[in-house]
Amino acid sequence: MWALDQPCAPRADRLVADTPLALLATLALGVATTGTLVALAVLPPSAVHVAGVTAGHGALLATALAWAHVHSASGVVVVGLLGLAALASGLGGLGALAYLGPALWIAWLAGRGRLTGLGLGGPVPLRGALTGALVGAFLACHLLVSVSRTLGVHVRVDRLSEVLAAVAYDLGANVLAAECFFRGALFTRAQRRWPAATAAALSTAAYVLRYLVDPLLPKSSELVVGAVFYLVLLGAINCWLLWWSQSLVPGLLSALVFFAAYRTLGSG
Amino acid sequence: MTLVAALLAAVTALLALDGAGPASLFRHAYLVPVVVAALRFGALGGTIAAAAAVLLSAPFVLPEIERSGLTSEASEGLMTFAVLALVGVLSGALRTRAGRHRRRYEILVAIQRTLADAAALDVALVRVRTALVPRLRMDDLALVARDGDRLVVAGGDRVAPGSLVARVLDEGAAAFVGDAGGGCRSRRAFATPLVSGGRAIGVLAVERKGEIAAEERAALEALGAHVGLALENARLASRQRQFAAELAEKISVARRELEELDRAKSAFVAIASHELRTPLTALQGFSELLALRRLPPEEVSRLAGVMRRESKRLGRIVSDLLDLSRIERGLEPALCRVPLAVEPTIAATVDVLRQGTATHPIAIECEPSLPKVAADPDALERVLTNLISNAIKYSPIGSVVRVKARALGGAVAIEVADSGRGIPAEALSRIFEPYYRVPDAVDAARGTGIGLTVVKALVEAHGGAVRVDSAPALGTRVTVVLPASQGA
Repeated sequence: MWALDQPCAPRADRLVADTPLALLATLALGVATTGTLVALAVLPPSAVHVAGVTAGHGALLATALAWAHVHSASGVVVVGLLGLAALASGLGGLGALAYLGPALWIAWLAGRGRLTGLGLGGPVPLRGALTGALVGAFLACHLLVSVSRTLGVHVRVDRLSEVLAAVAYDLGANVLAAECFFRGALFTRAQRRWPAATAAALSTAAYVLRYLVDPLLPKSSELVVGAVFYLVLLGAINCWLLWWSQSLVPGLLSALVFFAAYRTLGSG
Repeated sequence: MTLVAALLAAVTALLALDGAGPASLFRHAYLVPVVVAALRFGALGGTIAAAAAVLLSAPFVLPEIERSGLTSEASEGLMTFAVLALVGVLSGALRTRAGRHRRRYEILVAIQRTLADAAALDVALVRVRTALVPRLRMDDLALVARDGDRLVVAGGDRVAPGSLVARVLDEGAAAFVGDAGGGCRSRRAFATPLVSGGRAIGVLAVERKGEIAAEERAALEALGAHVGLALENARLASRQRQFAAELAEKISVARRELEELDRAKSAFVAIASHELRTPLTALQGFSELLALRRLPPEEVSRLAGVMRRESKRLGRIVSDLLDLSRIERGLEPALCRVPLAVEPTIAATVDVLRQGTATHPIAIECEPSLPKVAADPDALERVLTNLISNAIKYSPIGSVVRVKARALGGAVAIEVADSGRGIPAEALSRIFEPYYRVPDAVDAARGTGIGLTVVKALVEAHGGAVRVDSAPALGTRVTVVLPASQGA
């Protein structure tokens, strides 16, 4: 029993210890440089999108890996893979499949047992995975019903390739980075210091903030309110799923299902 | 859970079929699954059910707000959201709190029942732990209690220095560790002192992979106080029972000793009467003979010698009895100490004894120039007479009794050795007790059982010591050490 056998030393590390500051600074510098070059018309406008996706999701994934004490080279690799995927997806066609690269890299690391600190790598809890999928499906259905009754948007089946490309983006960048960082890294660290509810509140607030500052999110007030509503629910539920199942997979499934439904929506 | 989900789905279906929008009367039916979930699953269940109800009714309320703004129907719908959330959270919280209170009382009753039986502290701790583990719903639980200088641990092997339990034992205050290992669900550890009489007599430590909320920690602190008190009561009751058993045992031993003493005294009275009667009979018989008959002078002289010996023997017995009486009253024998040469005293005593018995040769070996001892002449003579008489009584006829004297530092050691039957080892420790006689010596020779008692008292009153070395069948050597006179 820990309380009998182990020395009880006061906590020494900070919440943001092990953050790869050099890599994050490099990514910020890269985005700024790209923006400048685009402004000077040296690079095409799509370069900003590539740099933003690479830097944004790369920063989250690299920080999550660093907090899980994975070698810093893995963070550089994942940033590189994200950059390649962003570039490839800009080429259209099957380019979006390149987003499978970061996902496979994370899966490979998890398979080697290096991401247990993020809740990846252990046996996948089937009950947890099923619950995650059901929660995602419930939120997705609720989203589809609500927006079709309020905002006048509905499911579009005539643009399957775009939906699949977006799902690939969610799988390899958006959902993967958000779940690895906000749940696997931030929530896990925070709940070691504070009660799980406080940790979930912190993680969810940061999660919602990340989408609110995302330039890709539409800025109409209805959409922002809706986004906050669903992201709060999704974030809190995914924290609970991770805490309950001790695996990140259920949260990944619920978010993927929810975002897949979100990607099918369109107006007109 | 299935019932709650089915009720939520049914109410939602009724709302959709009703078509009355957010003001539909069916919206109140959401209270049923919310209350059911709250009563069944507590705060978490009530909150989740309320959130689910709000989510399910939102598609009926939000379009109304978007179409027509905040109409009275929409306001009713929003009010329903608030009522559902309030009812779910409040009734669930109340249910959870009531459950905790009930569980706490059940735990206290279980502890009292567990400690009702007589049991040692380690057994009691194990029993309390067994009672607590399923009721507290913890992953691990340990109880530690002080038992004198040692720690009794239930639920572990030992208390490591610097551990959480050791800290709580030292500081006497509860401590909580939010990160005691674990991965995505942190392991929490909480330790609280078992308090009795204002001091920590032990520690209750629990661990759970998950939350140990502040309210639960407060309840555990209160439980620690209860367990401490119950353990202390059990310990006191156990000690009382132990004292009672020890007292009964002591009384039993004392009674046996008294009975033995009584028997010994009865035997002593019989023996002493016989011992007194023998010289009295001799004195009476010989004095009558002298009074009634005219005897030749040689015969008169012989009879007078016998009467003198018997009267001396009588006097010695009476002196021993008087000394024993003083000893039993806690008084030292009355002495008149003077510087006394040992060798002449030994020689005089042996001379008298040689006249009384010719069965045993008595050899005297004294170192030259022995220092004088500070002793009462009469007492020393009685000591020597007792020891030499014993040596003669308990050694075979014809065997030599040796009396030695030698200087020993600032003292003189007098040894009386025989080659008799010896004293069994188990009897050696008792030979100085009053009335005690070595069992196999009872039939071998006459004796009152007080001689060695008096010898020891007399020697110790002189500031000396007596030691007995004996080996069965080889003989006995009694050594008397008396301090030398200061002027010697």
